[in-house]
Order: sequence, then C-alpha cells, then structure tokens
Amino acid sequence: MKGVMVNLSRCIGCRHCEIACAVAHSQTKNLLTMIRETPVSFPRIFVETGINFLTFPNRCRHCEPAPCMQVCPTHALYREEKTGSVVVNYERCINCIACSIACPFGVIQFKQVHGVSRTVNAKCDNCIERQNKGEIPACVEACKTGALEFGDINELIRTSRKDFTVRIIKSQGAEVEVPKIPEHITAWRNILEKIAHEGPFKL
Amino acid sequence: MHHELKFIKEEVEKRALNETDKEIIEKSILDGIETAWDRLYKQQPQCGFGLLGVCCNRCVLGPCRIDPFGGEPQRGVCGATSDLIVARNLLDTLATGAAAHSDHGREVLEVLLHTAEGKSQGYQITDEEKLKAVAEDYGIKIEGRTKEEIAKELAVAMLEEFGTLTHGIKFVDARVPEKTKQMWQKLSIVPRSVDREIVEAMHRVQMGVDSDYVNILLHALRTALSDGWGGSMMATDCSDILFGTPTPKTSIFNLSVLSKDKVNVILHGHNPILSEMIVKASEDPEILKLAEQKGAKGINLAGMCCTGNELLMRKGVPIAGTLLDQELAIVTGAVEAMIIDYQCIFPSITFTASCYHTKVISTSSKAKFPGAIHMEFNPASAYDTAKQILRIAVENFPNRNPDRVKIPEKPMKVMAGFSEEVIRKALGGSYKPLIDLIVSGKIKGAVGIVGCNNPKIKMDYGHVTLAKELIKRDILVVETGCSAVACGKAGLLQPEAADIAGEGLKQVCKTLGIPPVLHMGSCVDCSRILVMASKIAKELGVGIEDLPLGGAAPEWYSQKAVSIGSYFVASGVYTVLGIPPTVMGSKNVVELLTDKIKGLTNSAFAVEPDPLKAADLLESEIMRKRKALGI
Repeated sequence: MKGVMVNLSRCIGCRHCEIACAVAHSQTKNLLTMIRETPVSFPRIFVETGINFLTFPNRCRHCEPAPCMQVCPTHALYREEKTGSVVVNYERCINCIACSIACPFGVIQFKQVHGVSRTVNAKCDNCIERQNKGEIPACVEACKTGALEFGDINELIRTSRKDFTVRIIKSQGAEVEVPKIPEHITAWRNILEKIAHEGPFKL
Repeated sequence: MHHELKFIKEEVEKRALNETDKEIIEKSILDGIETAWDRLYKQQPQCGFGLLGVCCNRCVLGPCRIDPFGGEPQRGVCGATSDLIVARNLLDTLATGAAAHSDHGREVLEVLLHTAEGKSQGYQITDEEKLKAVAEDYGIKIEGRTKEEIAKELAVAMLEEFGTLTHGIKFVDARVPEKTKQMWQKLSIVPRSVDREIVEAMHRVQMGVDSDYVNILLHALRTALSDGWGGSMMATDCSDILFGTPTPKTSIFNLSVLSKDKVNVILHGHNPILSEMIVKASEDPEILKLAEQKGAKGINLAGMCCTGNELLMRKGVPIAGTLLDQELAIVTGAVEAMIIDYQCIFPSITFTASCYHTKVISTSSKAKFPGAIHMEFNPASAYDTAKQILRIAVENFPNRNPDRVKIPEKPMKVMAGFSEEVIRKALGGSYKPLIDLIVSGKIKGAVGIVGCNNPKIKMDYGHVTLAKELIKRDILVVETGCSAVACGKAGLLQPEAADIAGEGLKQVCKTLGIPPVLHMGSCVDCSRILVMASKIAKELGVGIEDLPLGGAAPEWYSQKAVSIGSYFVASGVYTVLGIPPTVMGSKNVVELLTDKIKGLTNSAFAVEPDPLKAADLLESEIMRKRKALGI
C-alpha cells in the first residue's frame, strides 16, 4: 500500500505543498496561467499553525474503511482501486456535508471545481492523474524538507522505526550516527516557542 | 453574545499591555476593522525558509531554498550555500534600513542648504550654538561668518559625504574614540561614505560577486556604521540646527491625547521637516479662525512613531502612540487627518481610514499611498503646503460622527527631550559625575532600548518589562523610537518612576529630578546614544567597546532596526534582540554574530524573547565589562 507519510518535525510551514497542489489540480497545470483560470484552482492540503508556531501539513489520509465513503448517501465517494484513493464523483455530490461531519481530519471542503457549476466535495484525490503517469503526489514532490514522503507505507514506517531504534540504542551509550535535527534549527524552534509565549500566540 | 464578549476581552489581553490601547483594540474588533494582528493571524504559518533566511529570490536562476535539516538541496542553482544566502539576505536587509535612515538625513541636509541660501519658506537656523559645534567637527571656519554662510558650507560638506569622495565621514574622525576607530581600521570597516556602502552592498549581493559570508558580514557592519555615524547622525544634528536641540519638556502620551472638541491631526512617519511646519501653521490665525467656523475649539496635534518623537523632543507635542497605534488612532473615530511622510506607515492605512471620516494626506514624492490625498512637500513652499493640509483637516471636522467616537481618558504624563547636550550640561558640562556614579556602582551601566513594535510580541510588553527590570538593577535606560513611546505610555518617563528603580539609580534620579528611563528621540537619534557613549569613552581614555553598556530591541520588526543593532554591535555595544533576524538557517552566521564577533568588537548579538532573561544577559555583560575596567 502506497501513501503519504508526514514527518512532523520537518515541516517549517512554507506552504510549497499547498501551491503545488493547486497547480496540479488546475486546468493548465502551470502556476503563471493557473491564477487567471475560472474557477481559480485551490489547495487540497492545509498547512496550519498549531501551538508554538509548529505546523502540520494536513491532507486526506485516504482511510480504509473511509468514514466519508460510509456516510455518503449518494455514493458520490468511491475507492479508486489501483491507488487505493478515496475520490469523488462530482455529479453525484449533493453538498450535504455528511462526509465532512464524518471526516476525522477535517480536510473536506466544498468548492467550485472546473466543469461543475455548483460547489462539490473538493477533497484531495491523491493525485491519481499524476500517479497514473508514474509521478508522485504534487505536495510530496514540492516538499523540500522531507516533511512529506510518498512510498510504500510499511517501508516509510520501517525507516522511522529504525530511527527510533537507533536513538534508543544511542541512549544506551552506543556510538551510532543518528539522523537528527541540526542544532541551530532546534535553537530556532526554541526561540519561536518563546515568542509564542510573549504575544498573541499564547494559548 | 456573552461568550463572544469574553472572547474579545481575552483577545485584547493577548494583544496589548496598555489599558488605553486595549480599549481601542476592543473597539477595532467590535467595529470589524482589520488590524496588523488580524493580518498576522492570516499570515500563519509564515514560511520557514523565509524565517530561517535560506530562501534566495534575488535572481531568476531561482528562487532557491536550502533544506534546513541537512538534506538536499544544500545549494542554490548558482551554488550558494545557506551561509552565503543568509549573509546576502542580511546585507540586503541592513542596507535597506541604512538607506532609509540616511536618505531621511539627506532631505534634512537639503532643507538646511536651501535655508542657508534663503530659498526655503518658513525655516530658519534655530540653534546657532549647535551649528558652530558641528561646523567645528567639520573643520569649517566660524569666525567672522554669518550662520547662513557656515550652514551652507556645512550642508554641502555633509552632502558630499553621501558621494564617493575618499576622505571618509568627518563625524567618524571627530567623534569616534581612537581605540574604537583602530578596531574598525583593523577590520577594514571604517565607513568611506554614506551612500557608497549601501551601493556597494547592492553590488555585493549580485550573483557572482561576494561569495564569502564573513566578508559580506564585515561589509554589513561597515554599512551600518555609515548609517549610525553618518546618515543618522547628520539627520539628528541638522534637525537640531534647524529646529533646535531638544531640552527637557513635559507632555502626554497614549490615545487619550486625542481631543473631543478640537480638530485632531496625527503627524505620522519619521522626518520632522514638514511636520515642524505643520506645528507652526497650526498657530496661524487664519487656520484657527476656520476651525472656529467649523465648530471646533482649536487644532490638536498628536505625534505618531518617530515624527511624533521629533516633535515631542523639540516642541512638546503629545504622542498618540507607536507603530501598532496607527490603526487604533483612526479607530477612535476622532482623527480628522493623518499626515504621513515616510517609513513604518502601514500600506493599508488608507483602507483603515476609509472606514471612518479620517483623511490620510501623503507628503513625500517617494511615499505615495493609494487612497491618500497627495500634497507634496517642497522646502520652497513648505509653510503654504502646511496651511493647505491643515485646511483639509479642519474642513473635515464636521464629518466626525460622535456616535462612532471613543477616546480613552487617561493620558500619561511624560518628561522627554534628553539630548546628549542637555544630559552633559545637566551634569555640569562633563560626564565626570556620571562616570563617578558608574565607578561607585550606584549606576552599574546603561542600556539603550530601541526599536519598534511587532504584533508577534504583546504590544509594549517587551520594552516595558525589560526597562523596569533594568532600572530595578540600577542600570540606567536610554531610549529612542517606539521603545521610548512604549515606556512613556507605561509611566516610566516620569521622575516618579525612579521609585521602582534600584536604590543607587533612584537616588541619582531623585537628586537630578530626572526619570530613570531617558527619552533621547527618534530612531535616527540613536546617534545621540553613540555620541554620548563616545564622549564618556573619551573622558575615560577607552573605547566604546570597553564601556558597561548594552543595547536591546525587544519588539523590533524593521530593516532599520537591523542597521541600528549592527552599528551598536560594530561600535562595541552588546545587543539583545527580542525577535531573531532571518539568519537562523546558517549555523556559521549565527556563530559569527553571537559568538565569534566578540573577539573582533568585544560585543555580540543575542536573541532572547523573554525580557526578564534579556535583562540577565545585559546585566552579566555589563558586569563583565565593569570587571575588565577594574571597577
């Protein structure tokens, strides 16, 4: 099973993924022409700030079973078998938002898309079009910090599991190179955390 | 509704420290007015590449960015590493700030020149004593010459130093202590001219020019020095010559200074040259008569940001607030006109004004704002323009809607006007008494708190908390810019504030009748702090870098603050920033600025958002320098 992993500590809130997503779902697939299309394209991934200026790239997890699919009264939502993606048949969508109510991640929004005159469930489609051409999802391709990774889920999990193992062993005194966050970046995060406590970002 | 009100109250608490500000922030939320805080929220998250300084968009090989976690890409298309990208960005930012200060200075010099030539309207050479003192620094003959002749030669000499003549900047020769100057010579960072360093900075950030981050940062220090000891210092000194060197005066601060029954005119921006004329014209019988006809009880001028500081220092004009008060002033619904020159004016200010009756009047050819009435300032017709502008304000008075007006009712008393000359004279003509106090330990040292507001930090919290903490520890605080206004709003610019100072400082303030926090002027007037430090160093026979001094910018936002912080550090003053500059993406640049530079200038930068911890850092630096001096 292939999917998108989020490496939380590497997201720096640049929102490259959002722009790339909007471009990938535009008619012209080009940033410079996209902004003049009607309706103008938009991202299906959301990078928002939580506490201490930390960010999380939130997108459809393409659950299985998918709560949104289960509650959809018109069967507008269905699974695309080849990639395992949860996708929308726009013609069947009736804007009832049952899917949004059911979605545990809050990533379903209703917007006007190309070729449909009303708003519809305009969720992430896992870039099926790109995947069919052998490309990876646009958000992952755009991510320059490794916060988003695409691949075999168990393989990606194995990598983070291995990181954890090495870290545990290192804590026992073993001299092993551990993939870590550079010192100055940790210092920067600490400063951001302090700023968050001196101003309007205090929760 | 109850829930909503509770939410608003909580939100207001998060945004500001001062009660009068909170009152109007609440009104801004209820009125549905977008302010800087709302825009900051809408900007979240802010791009990490930008925050870290590892985004380079100066040419179209890019834009490029470096993976801050050590993965690919590690170089831009041109091959620049994170060290180079960060250093180039910093130099660019700093040069922008230096240009802003120095170009402001140039305009003051031009007015001085026009005045000396008799070509300006309404201006005069007010402070002949200062003119002669500065002329002496420039080696200009004084005896047997009229003040106009001296002023003309001085203005021309200074304007020439903006160019590329190689004799350097006279203020550096005349004012910088020998030891400090030698330190700069060793590093090859003695500024050669005002504009040249800025232009060279622009040259160096072109791809394929300077590719060594250390070399770039050294030039950044030189560019900053050309601002502090050049453009800014000229701005301060020539403004003093034209409008008078500040002397202590009392006035009032915060949004309560707006009047219920007079025409409220806000003077916002940085340059005193037009606003001084507005002050003059506000007493013109013709204008006052018009105000009466329109049902107003007179004209009420209120300053904002550094234009406010300039007018406060010389004329005692009240100040409505700081950077983050510009929108709030309009939200009171009581402002007939906001007159703007340049710098720190929100581009959206006309949008804010469009929700009320306020007219925004722009006055500089280099700072136009869509939606503003543009009334261009020209030295030859300055007084006429000032009158015309006031006429617009007065005629707008009947449009004020009393139902939408809310003016807080607790103005704060302040004492300001502490120019270097005034402090020195109060001490009896030399810094000996102050030096004695420092030696005895009654005063441990001094810290210059400067800089802006930034909505990322609770408005004024950084300035006020740090100032209070320092005076408690017997450290004298001198301030400029929004920092001084923030502390004034909090009551720290009153002699009575000495009650919360440490025993030593308290005693000194009580004896002299001065506040423990001294307001020294606008942000270009940070040059007054430099002059004071250099005079003390010279009396002691040491360099500025040896003195128990510190600098801080707890809530800074602007490119200008980068330049100020850098000329502080280059002059040997350890400086703590409340917000990190966009350099954290390069370990080497951070190490150089916060540590390795100590071996070069006996000072460094530090970043500490918590003002209490910042006070610890500053105190321990002051104690280190005291120890080195053997006191």
